[in-house]
Amino acid sequence: MNPAPLDAVLLPETIADLTGLGQFGILGDLIAAFVAAFFVGNLMLAMTGVAGPWAKRKITAAFTDRIAVDRVGPFGLLIIVASSVQLLAKELIIPEHVDRPAYDLAPIVIASSAMLGFAVIPMGSGIHLADPEVGLVFVFAIASIASVGLVMAGYASNNKFSMLGGLRAVAQNIAYEIPLIVTGASVVIFAGTLQMSGIVEAQQQALFTVAGIGIPAWFAIVNPFAFVLFVAANMAEIGRNPFDTPEAPTEIVAGYQTEYSSVYFVLIYLGEFLHIFLGAAIITTIFLGGPSGPVLPGIVWFIIKIWAFFLFTQWLRSALPRVRIDQMIEIGWKGMLVLSFANLILTAVIVGVFVA
Amino acid sequence: MSLEEPQPESTYVTDERVDYDALESLLGAHVLGRETHLNAEAFVIRPDEVQDVLTLLRDEAGFDYLSCVTAQEYEDRYESIYHLKKYADPTQEVGVVVPVPRDDPVSETATPVYKTAGWHEREAYDLVGIEYEGHPDLRRILLPETWQGHPLGLDYDQDKPQIVPYREHVNPIEGDYRDADSDTMFLNIGPHHPATHGVLHLKTVLDGEQVVDVDPDIGYLHRCEEQMCQSSTYRHQIMPYPDRWDYAPGGLMNEWAYARAVEDLADIEVPEYAQVIRTMGAELCRMCSHMLALGTFCLDIYGDFTAIFMYAMRDREKIQSILEDLTGQRMMFNYLRLGGVAWDLPEPREEFFEKTRDFLEDLPVATQEYHDLITSNEIFQIRTVGTGVLPPEAAKQYGATGPVVRASGVDYDVRRDDPYGYYDELDWEVAVEHGCDNYSRLLVRMREVEQSAKIVEQCIDLLEEWPEDEREIQSNVPRTLKPDPDTEVYRAVEAAKGELGIYMRSDGTAKPARFKIRSPCFSNLSTLGEMAEGEYVADLIASLGSLDIILGEVDR
Repeated sequence: MNPAPLDAVLLPETIADLTGLGQFGILGDLIAAFVAAFFVGNLMLAMTGVAGPWAKRKITAAFTDRIAVDRVGPFGLLIIVASSVQLLAKELIIPEHVDRPAYDLAPIVIASSAMLGFAVIPMGSGIHLADPEVGLVFVFAIASIASVGLVMAGYASNNKFSMLGGLRAVAQNIAYEIPLIVTGASVVIFAGTLQMSGIVEAQQQALFTVAGIGIPAWFAIVNPFAFVLFVAANMAEIGRNPFDTPEAPTEIVAGYQTEYSSVYFVLIYLGEFLHIFLGAAIITTIFLGGPSGPVLPGIVWFIIKIWAFFLFTQWLRSALPRVRIDQMIEIGWKGMLVLSFANLILTAVIVGVFVA
Repeated sequence: MSLEEPQPESTYVTDERVDYDALESLLGAHVLGRETHLNAEAFVIRPDEVQDVLTLLRDEAGFDYLSCVTAQEYEDRYESIYHLKKYADPTQEVGVVVPVPRDDPVSETATPVYKTAGWHEREAYDLVGIEYEGHPDLRRILLPETWQGHPLGLDYDQDKPQIVPYREHVNPIEGDYRDADSDTMFLNIGPHHPATHGVLHLKTVLDGEQVVDVDPDIGYLHRCEEQMCQSSTYRHQIMPYPDRWDYAPGGLMNEWAYARAVEDLADIEVPEYAQVIRTMGAELCRMCSHMLALGTFCLDIYGDFTAIFMYAMRDREKIQSILEDLTGQRMMFNYLRLGGVAWDLPEPREEFFEKTRDFLEDLPVATQEYHDLITSNEIFQIRTVGTGVLPPEAAKQYGATGPVVRASGVDYDVRRDDPYGYYDELDWEVAVEHGCDNYSRLLVRMREVEQSAKIVEQCIDLLEEWPEDEREIQSNVPRTLKPDPDTEVYRAVEAAKGELGIYMRSDGTAKPARFKIRSPCFSNLSTLGEMAEGEYVADLIASLGSLDIILGEVDR
């Protein structure tokens, strides 16, 4: 069960070697790291900020019997440009009596916390920024920072709907973070490491063979129960249907983002999309074998997998009602928490008895 | 007529008709005189004995339903008319007329006897100017607090500008005080809010996420519909207005309410063929309206634009297209005429029949899809079952009608209990549910769509078989209609939202002297507090959605 020592090359090192920056010592490494981070950041932004909103419109339209954008450019693709211009050119309205530094910082915190998480995600084809030994803990910790941004936005907006939304967001994140992490821990027991590359590595060997095709030991297949739990908790973590109570458009207008317009709105929206994709990336890494897959290069598989999860969230959004906040907390504390601990203990026993 | 609750033998009813002489002896010295309205007899009583008389009528004679309160001003007096009915049999009616002098228009309130009088009397005070003594909350309801004068009064000066300085306006944020001892939060839901289905303002007090108090503030869409009808002629000018009350579209049903009242007032016959077309059109409208109700209710529970909403709109669109073929319009039909309808079925008729039949054939598939997506969804069930509970007694107290009261287990439907049109010739059922909650209200609407489809199907068959030489669409109605002076009538039809009633008094001219609209949404909305208080704010929104109000009809 102990994965082999990892000798995978990280992206900053590759860049340092290719450009010869490595010979400039620590400064060269730093520049290489920046270049690598710039590349990965833009890759994710291109998917979430540019392709995401367009795809979301098209996907939701397909689910709900509509056509959606098709006027600007082929398949309405140029709507991305039009929307960007429109959103960025709008007036930034800042209501009276908002709590100024917090009000301005909240969108940045929400968006940037998700971006940081991608640093430790192995995306295949050598695209991997950093691989600390506590990678999984790091990504959970970073993803939780978003809650701070939500509270800041909810409190600083000086709006009661925002306040309600902020309170709901915190209550929800606390209730679902624990099951999320405990379920994640059950994977760690299997993999024997917190390192992201190690977790991916542990899923590579074939579990069993059906008609000559090796079924990989993805943890989603090894422990489907944990997978379902994790996906459900993750839906609450990213605040999507059926757990979109913090925004709940028909109840509390738009929750914590009610008072945000123009650039700030874009940032919050971007932050939400990034969180969906970060959630997808975590699920891909710890349950779906990361970037592994036949024929196609790793990065392509990685992108396919996270988009599949994105599609899944949009499907739920079109088809599922929203639970009420008290029901949602009840499901979290009374259901998910108990199930996740049961799963953890069961996994520990199985691994301890059969594997060790 | 209700099957569940057999009528107790009443001394005040003989052969299913109200025995007014027995009622008069019941009321005894309270009665100052008797008036004859076309729909029922009315007793004139003293303004300080309203509660005594209404309590007697409710408890002894079984009039458990205050349908409407009409207020009007004469040259020498003000008058409030309480139109009482029975949920068990709405053909048993009685009016209570309360005249008050013009120099001191004070009348006792009926609110302790019928809660629905609360809002109706506020409206009477607001528009006509009668003051109700003992009313718990006698504020203006449709017009702003700062309005000068009472617009439906005789000496109201329409040209007088209503200049109100900004500082005198009611400040909606005033309740936003920061009291250190207070555990509650005041929240304005609306007038701009995604879930108010129009322009509605709910003054809500929250304790955490739970609703402590909710006070609907209406009137944002008040368009003087009653006043406009009073200044229009019966024959042609009034008919387009009803389309604008419930524009969901309940158009043909609204028009029918007006047509039914005038046809009774002026004694106009309607050819049977026209009645069948009316029945078919009204049921198509009802389906349309319920589809919209279903779609928007799901928006409130699901959030944003979901599949259900679009599916409901898709099916609604098919009906709209049929209605467009029939009437030439999509929303503001203006299709009914006094004594019939404007024109015959569209030619070629076979095409129209085929299109309608195609729709009816596809409908069960669509309904099944809704059941798969909505009613059998567990999350939807935990959200709606047992929330927004409206017990039958409370529903009756607030004068709720339509799907709202039927979902509370009260078997009441004007189409069956007080038949008009062609309904009593057709085979259909009244949908009743006993859950009293949001889920039941949705179920009732979905079942009603099925029943409406059944009615439309029978109408189509009838219309197809109808003898060619008997296709008479309108009876002979005088060019200028002048009903006899001082005739009064109150007539209701079953609109999509409930009982839509019209009270009219003629003064011998070609225009009504008083035109009062009894809007089902108005009474249904007044039950919101009953359903939402103590519940979560999310359920307040869901309950509001389940009431299916159209603000155009609430505010008129």
